[in-house]
Order: sequence, then structure tokens, then C-alpha cells
Amino acid sequence: MKTYDVIVIGAGNGGLAAAATCAKNGHSTLLLERHNIPGGSASSFVRGRFEFEPSLHELAGAGSPEEVGSIEAMFLRMQADVQWHKHDSTFRLIVPAKEGDKDAFVNENGVLVTVDARMPVGFENFAKKLEQLVPGSYKSCMDAFDLSIRMFKAFECLDNPKQLPGSIKDLPDIMRMATHTLKEGLDALGMPKKAQDIFCTYWCYMGSPASKFDFLYYMAVLHSYVKNGTGIPHMRSHEMSLSLDKVIRKNGGDIWYNSEVTKIIMKNGKPVGVVINGEKEVYGKYFICNTSPNAVWNDLFDLKDVPEKQLQMLNSRKIAASLTTVYLGMNKTKEELGITDYSVFIAPDSDSDKQYEVCNDFNSGFCIINCLNEIIPDCTPKGTSQLFLTTMTFGDVMKDIKPQDYKKFKTKVAKDMIETCEKALNISITPYIEEIEIALPPTFARYLNTPWGTPYGFFLEKWDSMIPRTVQFAQDQPFDNFYFCGASQERGDGYGCAYYTGEKAGAIVSKALKKEGK
Amino acid sequence: MSSKLKTLKARKFVSLLKNRQATFKAAKSDLPQINDQATVIARALHPKRQYLTVESVTERGEDCKSYTLIPDKDRGTDSLAYFSAGKYLTVFENIEGMPVTRAYSISSSPKDSLNGKYVLTIKLVEGGLMSRYIFDTWKKGTKVEVSAPSGNFEYQPLRDAEKVICIAGGSGITPFISMANAVADGDEDFEMTLLYGSRTSESILFYDELKELESKCSKVKVIHVLSDEEKEGQWEKGFITAELIKKYAPSDEAYSIFLCGPQQMYSFVDKELEKLQLPKKYIRHEMFGEFHNPTSQDDYPENIPEKVKITVTIQDSTYTVEGLTNDSVMQTLEKNKIAVPARCRSGECGFCHSHLLSGKVYVPKALEYRRMADHKFGCIHPCCSFPLTDIEISVPVAK
Repeated sequence: MKTYDVIVIGAGNGGLAAAATCAKNGHSTLLLERHNIPGGSASSFVRGRFEFEPSLHELAGAGSPEEVGSIEAMFLRMQADVQWHKHDSTFRLIVPAKEGDKDAFVNENGVLVTVDARMPVGFENFAKKLEQLVPGSYKSCMDAFDLSIRMFKAFECLDNPKQLPGSIKDLPDIMRMATHTLKEGLDALGMPKKAQDIFCTYWCYMGSPASKFDFLYYMAVLHSYVKNGTGIPHMRSHEMSLSLDKVIRKNGGDIWYNSEVTKIIMKNGKPVGVVINGEKEVYGKYFICNTSPNAVWNDLFDLKDVPEKQLQMLNSRKIAASLTTVYLGMNKTKEELGITDYSVFIAPDSDSDKQYEVCNDFNSGFCIINCLNEIIPDCTPKGTSQLFLTTMTFGDVMKDIKPQDYKKFKTKVAKDMIETCEKALNISITPYIEEIEIALPPTFARYLNTPWGTPYGFFLEKWDSMIPRTVQFAQDQPFDNFYFCGASQERGDGYGCAYYTGEKAGAIVSKALKKEGK
Repeated sequence: MSSKLKTLKARKFVSLLKNRQATFKAAKSDLPQINDQATVIARALHPKRQYLTVESVTERGEDCKSYTLIPDKDRGTDSLAYFSAGKYLTVFENIEGMPVTRAYSISSSPKDSLNGKYVLTIKLVEGGLMSRYIFDTWKKGTKVEVSAPSGNFEYQPLRDAEKVICIAGGSGITPFISMANAVADGDEDFEMTLLYGSRTSESILFYDELKELESKCSKVKVIHVLSDEEKEGQWEKGFITAELIKKYAPSDEAYSIFLCGPQQMYSFVDKELEKLQLPKKYIRHEMFGEFHNPTSQDDYPENIPEKVKITVTIQDSTYTVEGLTNDSVMQTLEKNKIAVPARCRSGECGFCHSHLLSGKVYVPKALEYRRMADHKFGCIHPCCSFPLTDIEISVPVAK
């Protein structure tokens, strides 16, 4: 029986990038996936005459029309064929007014709101718009972007040590950003509270609010979106996943679908192989794992073989947010519906920590509504459009729901979310629904095999955020021939983050194999 | 600028790293179980396989039988997955070494599954491999393997009208029996008018059950439409036409149409429905069913050989077999005793998603549910792909 150089477990974004990297570097590579298609969250599904995007909101890494972004660069590097749509928008935040709100006003939709912020692309444009919305915020906003610009320069220097001395003066500030929360950072820059609220709108992309999340990572994310705007693949994320599937095959890699790893074979305290679907054994030298550590240690190992530190890590980290998404195929165009933006964040309160608190319940009033036709006008047949609504929840929020009540429950959740959007945008959605699919945490649990169905991995907090996770990556891995990648790792959730960790794990393994003379 | 930031401490960074490892070290080292309710629901509703036993068989005329299936605890199935009325089960059988699958709508009420009971009602299909096999071999005590309940043919209150005209032909009645029960049980909430087409009053399936449901629940109304027999009273004669639908549909409010029946019924009723000019959202079809005789299609290409070679790779095994161009890729593989993943066999569920590595296939338009990127990267659904040339494919392992 053949022994593979690398066995990659799970064909999510991380696993695909890892397997493509290894295969391209000439190592014999086997990618194993328990589902029948690649991608994990990065996929698509067809209902009637609609093909829906299941999870992707926007990719800053797709770059701008003028500039190749980091994810686009990875796809180019791997010669993976994806057609991108790039759009110069960031987000619109709407906070409907509550009774007695003194600063409420009627917005362009005719809705009484306290915040309506449609934020543009470009640092200067963004800061000017923020100043217009909250006078006195321009300077602090530009200061924040100045920090993120210097931070990215310093990151580049890490890859190119010759430039490092020039940027060493920036290091203390970068360490400050990594050590303090987003809120502490913006307070230090003197940003008015109301401007901070708008500034922090993207918190939910990482699932951690301003008082918990570190200033550095948030700036990295916001910087990328404000610099590049939004990118989306033409054929939903299924195109990205299949393009990587093709790269792996073209470079001699094997991909086996419907092939679930049910056991890791250990020898002398180290993984040496896997059992597939409970019956077939395959052996390998290195392993890259793109699945949830909780599932790995529960299902694939005997407890005696699990390194104690891995258990301690599970016990000291919190599970991150889970998602609920409602996919709607509409028999009206976006113009007929009155939708004017790609991405609108509707929140019951402008403060990210308050938004975080209300997400212990499905009907929180927190909902993101996306309309793909805004970026890809012909992504649905003539006269139609597609919407997807997203909310997040933290914790075992379904604990009182029985399987037989699930359909009624999820219909109720969808109804509430649709009503939240209808009210906040003063539009009518319900009568025009031609197709609907509702994904609650059990749907994500089914496809991703993570606790609560979280796609986000572990909760990002300043003590356990990107920089500390990255610096301590090597010492956090369980065996010297077994690496994790994906949302549970350095960068948490996000397509770009998963690709990055997969490519990195692939590169580490490839380097080790080359050293061994392979 | 950075002077303001100086109020924050840079040196804390070192302790941040130390504290992180210290936090890990101080934590418990037991294994946290995954038992949250999202996972519990996902596992309960979508088991990989359900192992069942035939509890009883009910004859329904000469060519139809209902099989009551109960969990087989000895093989690890303790309870049945709950489902929305309208869903189907894929039955897995092995007929003389050939792995064969068929999808059958569940005809029992969702509530019955909580008491450990599914009913599949199966009509003997002329020349049908699976129905013949089931008729001949399934008896009380027979061990059966089925999938989790699957499919998208179900009532959705946010999408569908409150009044639904259900149109059934022959054994296409089965999902509607489940839906009518679900309405009577309060599991679903809509007004159901069932137009049920049969040849004669003799060939009606579930006549008594439907009568009882009607009397028990005011939201269920049944009209029998007989093609080959004239009868006095509450009976309609002929086919299910636009006129007939109009007669029973509400005139002043929206209604949905749900259709389930043989392929000939779809082509007839679809033309009738065009006359009614209903928005697409109000017309739902159950799956098309397995497609036969692709050569009869208008867009089928000319000069196609009768036989071709199919080379298939599944994990690390490769086989080359000969097949007819008139058979789907899936049928040819099964006939050659090669198991492939199969669920709906109608192109819709995508479970058999595979890579076409070389060669060409024909896919009938009615069964074209592939994603855009599937076309771009050469992926097919073998259940509804008919080879036009020798082909090479890579197929996931059967599950």
C-alpha cells in the first residue's frame, strides 16, 4: 500500500489550499473529504431557478480593480481559474430608532433611525464620511488607518528582513495594538463614541466585539475592506472550491470524496495513518487537518493519545459564534424590491458589545442583508434577484428545541429576520419569495461538524487573537507531523484566513519533506 | 499621532504571550463532549443510514403494497429521523450482487415516526427492478436499509399560499397522504384540496384513508378524477385540466399547486398550468424520477454509438466497463456491480456529483440541476448523464 507524503483531512478552504500547495510542490498528496463536494462553507446550492451562495459575504482579498488582492494572488499563484467581480462598497449600517431616542431622524428609506451610515471605499473617503456623520472624528479615523498602513508595511518586512530596520520604529505601536482591545485603541486615539460604533461595524465578521477583540486584528480587517472594497466569485464560492480541486488533480494529487476519516492510526505516539469510513486504511508521513479540534479529539483519537495541552486548549477557549442564514430567491428585481446596497447591517443598538449581548437569542433584531445582484446583476434570471439574511448567535441557543419542532422553529426565526429587514429598509419581501432555504446552527453543525455549528472556530479575544496565535503556532500544534488549518487556527473565521492557514500548513510540511530529501 | 497611542502599554505584549500559555496550563484536561442541541438536532434529522425491519405488509390492490418499517435496534437504529411531510427515503438493496437504490416518498404521517413507524407505499412498475424485488422479497421481519428523509417537496409557509391544490397521479399520492396527515395532526397548517387522478375507482389507492382524513379534518378536501370510468356524485371524469383546477381553486385569492405523479402526468398538467399563468413560486413539482430513453429527446445528438466504454475511478480503484448509451452512467455502473452514491436519481439532489475527466455526456433538460461551476469544471450527476462517447469519470465512494 502506498504511503502518501501528505494526507489532508477535510476539503474546506484550508484543506484545499493545503493540498494544492503540497501537490504543487510535488509531494504525493491525498485530500479526504466526508462530503461529496469540496469547500465546506464555500459551495453553492440550487433551488428552482436560483443558485445560492451559502456563506460568502465579501472578500477583501479579491483586491480592487487596480490591484491584485491577497486571495486573488493565491489563486493566480496556484493557477486556479476564478472569475472575480469587484465592487467599490463596504457596508451600510442602519440602527432603527427606539422610542424616545432623541437623536432619531428619518432616513432616505423613510425609516426613523439613529444611525444610517453608508461607508465608502478609500481611507480618506471613509474618514470624510465618518466626519460628516460624527463631527470631530476625522483625525482619529485617519490616525487609525495610518497605524494600519504602517502595520501592513511592517508585516511585509517580516517576509523581507532587509527592510526591517526601517520599520522597527513601528514595532512598539504594533505591539500596543496587539495587546489592547479595539475599544481601548479607539479611545486612545480619541475617536468619539458614536464614530467608534460605525467604525466597528465589521466586528461580526470575526464574531468578537470591540471590548474583547484586539485593536490590531480589527484594523487589519477594516483596512483591507476600506482599501479594496468587495470581491465575489462569478459562480458562487463553488467556483473557488472546484478551481482548487482542479489544481490538486492537475498536479497529481488525489481527492477522495465521501471519504470520512473515522480514526487516526498511531504508532510510537505519532500519527502514521488514517482509517476511512471505518474500513479502509491509508498511511502518510504528514497530516494537515482542516476540521474542528473538538471533533478530532472526540472522534478520531483514543483519549490516551491526545496530548494534554490540546485538551487544556479546548477547555480554556470559548466556542465562537454560530450563524443563521435565510436564502431567498425573489420573483422581483432588486430595483422593484427597493434594495440599493449590497450589504446592510441592521442592528438594534449601534454599540458592538450590545449587539454581541443580544445575540444570545435568534430574534435579536441584528441582521445583515445582502443582495448579490448588486455586484453580479445577472446572478439570477431576468426579473428576479437573490437575497441572503444572516444573524449570529452565541451559546447553546437551541437547547429547548426538539427535532420534531425544528421546522416550525426555523420558519419562525426566518420570519422574524425577514420582518427585521422589511421594517429597517421599509420594503416588502415576503410576498415575492419564490424559493427559500433556512439554515440554522444544526445545518452548519451538519455540514461543518463543529460544536454549535460554528464556522468561526474559537472566540477571538485579545489574549487569544491573531498575533499571539501566530507567534505561538508551532508550540500549539499537537504532533510534529500533524498541523491544523482553517477557522480554528491563527486568524479565526473567514475565507482568506482559512486559505492563509492552509497554504501556510502546506508550506511548513513541504519544507519539512524537502529537508528529508523528498 | 502615536503619542496618543503611547498611553497604551507596548511591553504588555510579552506578558500577553506568557499569560496565554499559562491560561492553557491552568485549564482542566478532560475532554469536552460535543452534545450541544444544534449537533443533537443535526444528527437526529440526518442520520447517515437508518437500519429498519419490515413490521407488516398491507396489500393495496394487485400491484401496490404498503410496508410498515420500524427501527432495528440490533443494528444500531434506536429511533427514526423525524421529517417534513413530502420527504422521501432512499432504499438500498443488493440484487444478485448489484447495488441498487430507489427513492420512495414516505406515505405515513411525520407524527408516526415519533412512535417508530415509517410507511413506504410501493407500486409495482412494469419492468421495474427494485419494485419487483421488493414485492417478491420484503416480508414481515425483512431487514431494510434506508437513507435519512430527504428532498425539497414540502410545504413552506413563508413561500407557499395558504391554500394548496395538490395534484396526484397514481402512486404519486404517497407524499400527499403524509401531508394530509400532517395537516390533520396540526404539524402543517394549510388548506389542502387534493385532485387525485386514477384510471378507475377500483385503482384508487388509500380511498378509505382519504375519506377518513376528510371527515376528520376540515382543511383536507379530496376530489377523485377518473380517466376511464364515469361515476355519479362527487367524482370527476377525464384528466386534470386547467378548467378542472379552476373549478376547485379559490377565485379571489392566491393558491399554490403541488404536483406528484408519473412523468406523463407532469408533461400534460404542466401545459394545462401554463393556461392559468400562475407565478412560478406557486408551482412545486416533486422530483421527476429516473429518466429513460434519452434518444427520444429533441435535442439528443445524432450518430451516437449504441455502446461505449466507461472508465471509473473510485478512491484508489479503477474499473472499465461497457455500457449502453441508452442507460445513464449510474445504471451502467450498477449493472456492472459497482456501487455509486445515489439518492434522488433525478438529477436534483446532487448526491452523486462526480468529475467527468474525458468524453461527452447528454443531460436531459428537465433534470439539469447542476451548478454553474459544475459546467465550468466538468462535473456531472451520473444519475441523469447519458454517455455519448467513451468516458472517464471519478466518482465518490458509495455512502
